[in-house]
Amino acid sequence: MSVPAANVLTTASTVPAAEVAGAGPGARGWLRSAEITIPGGIIVLLLFFCFIWPLVYPVPKPIGGSLLQVNLPLFAPGHIFGTDDVGNDIMSRILYGGRVSFEVAAGVQVIGLVVGGLLGMAAAYRGGWIEAVLMRILDVFIAFPSLVLVLAIADSLGPSEMHVIWALSAFSIPAFARVARAATLRLRDQPFVVAARLSGTKAWRIMFQHLVPNMAPQLLTFSLLGAGITILLEGGLDFLGYGIPPPTASWGNMIATGQQFISVYPDLVLVPSFFLLLTCICLNMMGDGLRARWGVR
Amino acid sequence: MTATGDDVLLQVRNVVQEFVLRDYGGAKGGVLQAVADVSFDLHVGETLGIVGETGSGKSTLARCIIQAPPPKHGEVIFQGQNLARLSRSALKAARRNMQMVFQDPFTSLDPRWSVTRLVEEPLVAYGEGSREQRRARVHELLDLVGLDPVRYGGRHTWELSGGQCQRVAVARALALEPKLILCDEPVSSLDVLVQAQVLNLFEKLREDLGLSYLFIAHDLALVKQVSDRVAVMYLGKLCEVGPVRSLYNAPLHPYTLALLNSIPSPDPTVGRRDTATVISGELPSPLDPPSGCRFRTRCPRAADLCAAEVPELRALADGHLVACHFPLTGNGTAAAAASTAAAAASTATEPTKTASASTAAASIGPAGD
Amino acid sequence: MAATADAAAPDRQLRPSPLLEISDLRVTFHTRLGTVYAVQGITFTVEPGRTLALIGESGSGKTVSAQAIMGILPRTARVDGSIKFKGDEIVGSSEHELRDYRGRCVAMVFQNPERSLNPTMRIGTQIAEAIQCHLPVDRAEAHARAVELLRMVRLPAPDRRFYEYPHQLSGGMRQRVVIAIALACGPAVLIADEATTALDVTTQAQIMDLLLDLQQETGTALLMISHDLGLAASYAEEVIVMYAGKVVEQAPTKELFAGVRMPYTQALLDAIPRIEMEPHVLLPVVGGRPPDLAVIPPGCSFAPRCPRVQQDCRETSPPLQQHEPGRWWACWHPLGKEPGRDSDR
Repeated sequence: MSVPAANVLTTASTVPAAEVAGAGPGARGWLRSAEITIPGGIIVLLLFFCFIWPLVYPVPKPIGGSLLQVNLPLFAPGHIFGTDDVGNDIMSRILYGGRVSFEVAAGVQVIGLVVGGLLGMAAAYRGGWIEAVLMRILDVFIAFPSLVLVLAIADSLGPSEMHVIWALSAFSIPAFARVARAATLRLRDQPFVVAARLSGTKAWRIMFQHLVPNMAPQLLTFSLLGAGITILLEGGLDFLGYGIPPPTASWGNMIATGQQFISVYPDLVLVPSFFLLLTCICLNMMGDGLRARWGVR
Repeated sequence: MTATGDDVLLQVRNVVQEFVLRDYGGAKGGVLQAVADVSFDLHVGETLGIVGETGSGKSTLARCIIQAPPPKHGEVIFQGQNLARLSRSALKAARRNMQMVFQDPFTSLDPRWSVTRLVEEPLVAYGEGSREQRRARVHELLDLVGLDPVRYGGRHTWELSGGQCQRVAVARALALEPKLILCDEPVSSLDVLVQAQVLNLFEKLREDLGLSYLFIAHDLALVKQVSDRVAVMYLGKLCEVGPVRSLYNAPLHPYTLALLNSIPSPDPTVGRRDTATVISGELPSPLDPPSGCRFRTRCPRAADLCAAEVPELRALADGHLVACHFPLTGNGTAAAAASTAAAAASTATEPTKTASASTAAASIGPAGD
Repeated sequence: MAATADAAAPDRQLRPSPLLEISDLRVTFHTRLGTVYAVQGITFTVEPGRTLALIGESGSGKTVSAQAIMGILPRTARVDGSIKFKGDEIVGSSEHELRDYRGRCVAMVFQNPERSLNPTMRIGTQIAEAIQCHLPVDRAEAHARAVELLRMVRLPAPDRRFYEYPHQLSGGMRQRVVIAIALACGPAVLIADEATTALDVTTQAQIMDLLLDLQQETGTALLMISHDLGLAASYAEEVIVMYAGKVVEQAPTKELFAGVRMPYTQALLDAIPRIEMEPHVLLPVVGGRPPDLAVIPPGCSFAPRCPRVQQDCRETSPPLQQHEPGRWWACWHPLGKEPGRDSDR
């Protein structure tokens, strides 16, 4: 069923167009947009190589390389990205390190979305002193420069992947809570929510069946953009020595250890940096593309 | 057509609604009295039209009645129950019989939900019947409002026109078989031809289902179309309430006359009406309304009394109430108003206060009418 | 169809030459959702000092036509046909030429005064800016002219108002400021695009009175765009009715209302609730919705909804023709003529 073309001309017309969510005919065409599919495709490819490829193809181990094959250059036979200073195959470290990066990014975003999103939405919907108190607590977290906060938490918890996720969540939970709160405030007084209340619908149902679907595009694009930032932060943590400890591979600590040899063997730093950059750019582009597509502010 | 006085469905008593305006930083900036002491009754089977312009408080009044949010002062008594005193569950039970249709059909329906789900929502919330029974009822309701359930049931708001969305909103409002429907400018955002279709729908439903309406609009002609009685509001206060014919043929309040004169008539022989004699100036700020009668700054008949004392709503004719110290006598034409403007300005006598006892048909006005 | 008199050929030798001649104007939008034929060939003229009302519902193409006349259509729009202002062709002009033309020759007042005024600038400055844009005057002179304009639009205490911000004014006062800006450089044509729709009815009457008084004072031609036939009846000298991108009827106001020819115009008239009518009377309505502008139907666009439709209406689109002196309509079976017989060509 085609869209009434009159909707296209609603610049100054008397019938206002739906503004609530980016829901509209464009929402379904997103799969066809190049600015979303190309970066999306790259991310999917990276995910495939990091998670699935090592299960099917005998990739050299990321740790315990032979000291006889130290610092091989790019495109050396058997090691497409060469080896590092202790003989580990760089490509497999990229793959296994990528796992860590993606796991951390996904974990932090999911925790932020669920915990932060719920908190923000519930607080904004209820209003009153609950909202005020919660927002002030979150403001305290937001007031800290993100890296400092994360470092402090990571330092006190100790280096490990799970602790990195917790530390970074301290940053993502308030961020999501803020976005969810703003979206809820905007939606809460919309006539359709008032109408739902008048129809007798209970509060939790309103929140999950009315508010969440209408906030979803906004939160989704926010989480994609946030994933890029998270990966960078994780890399930064590793680089500073607070994140995943070596010899476990992670893009950040590869850069950290490779940094010592940068003048002699620059590809130890350049290769993981390239993948970090590529992932970040693709996530950002997807996030921006979806935002443009869905008309999310 | 007007129901008898015993079947009072809704009683609104001295309702006041205020909004506190906050400056930057949350400091109290001022208090906006959107609804200032409004009282009226609505009878079973009756349509009461409420007319007002920007700042009149008509939409706020509707929200007060449905308790979203409840009024600051005053009472709303629906079917004998004072809504403000009810517990949450009792209020929910009471709200079954009172539903609302909003102005913008697109934002009053969740764009993520299908038409069927939207109309079903009240039934689900009150736990009515089984799934099949609910679906059957939804079909019935969509038929009632003129939408084919098979064709439109699965659609979403962006696939519908304004008129169709408004029909869905009406179907949803009817789901629980309410006694009263509040319509807050339900056709203002629709095109002329579609507007007529939806108005006819309201009429048809009124006849078939015996509904009562509280119909809010800014268009006097439109309100006349659907109402039995009409109330005119200005800056939060009621100016005049009366049966349709009597109010339109013989308005008593100068503001009502000004509204009637301002409507452009689709009859070119009438030509431009000279509105300067019936109303002047701009709407005062609702934050700081004029003392006494709020309309006095724009009224051609204003006198000193109007600034000193707030006029009470008094009955001047059968069922026809007006809040004015110098009401029009009832041949409310522009010429009559213009001539009385001069007379009222020079008259120092006021109508006697004993007129506050409701009288039958005596018309009271300053000497010289 | 025998060769018909081209409606654009003016037989108005007795009248002053027209300011605006719109001839077979077509506007097409190429969007992601497909092509939209917003305006499908309209023709009319605006003469000096006249008040013309362009009436239509949403989707009729009236606003797009006005935007085409002003040259403010987005780049996705393709404009064909001709718009001539005093003989100069507007369609296809460069942005530089258009900037000169807008405001100086043709000015527009929009629906929402909140959106037309810059909330961070004083209103006097906005008027002065418009003056200085087109006229070679210095700041003091522009200031004086701005105050004069504020007085002309009946804003009390104009010299004080010069320094106020839009948020300090009411809706009606803001619209007066917008009118002042529009008239700042003395345009020959003023287009009011639903200028009073967003205002209260009492304010609407005041603003319309103002517009007409100003028009008489300055001799500007006024093109009113609205969906309100009542407004046209009260204020316009000539009415043009649009439906689905085409002009369907055009006539001097009194004659139009004395005898409507096009069933769509009659439907519009019937659908307006009137004060004189009795309450609880069902309004005569036509069902259906305006057509999808992505397709140009073979026959008359109103055929699916018309109560007087016949077979030939669906097959061939009736052209807009001057059937009586000064009256145009596009209908095979108009009202007021016997059904089944074509009106004279």
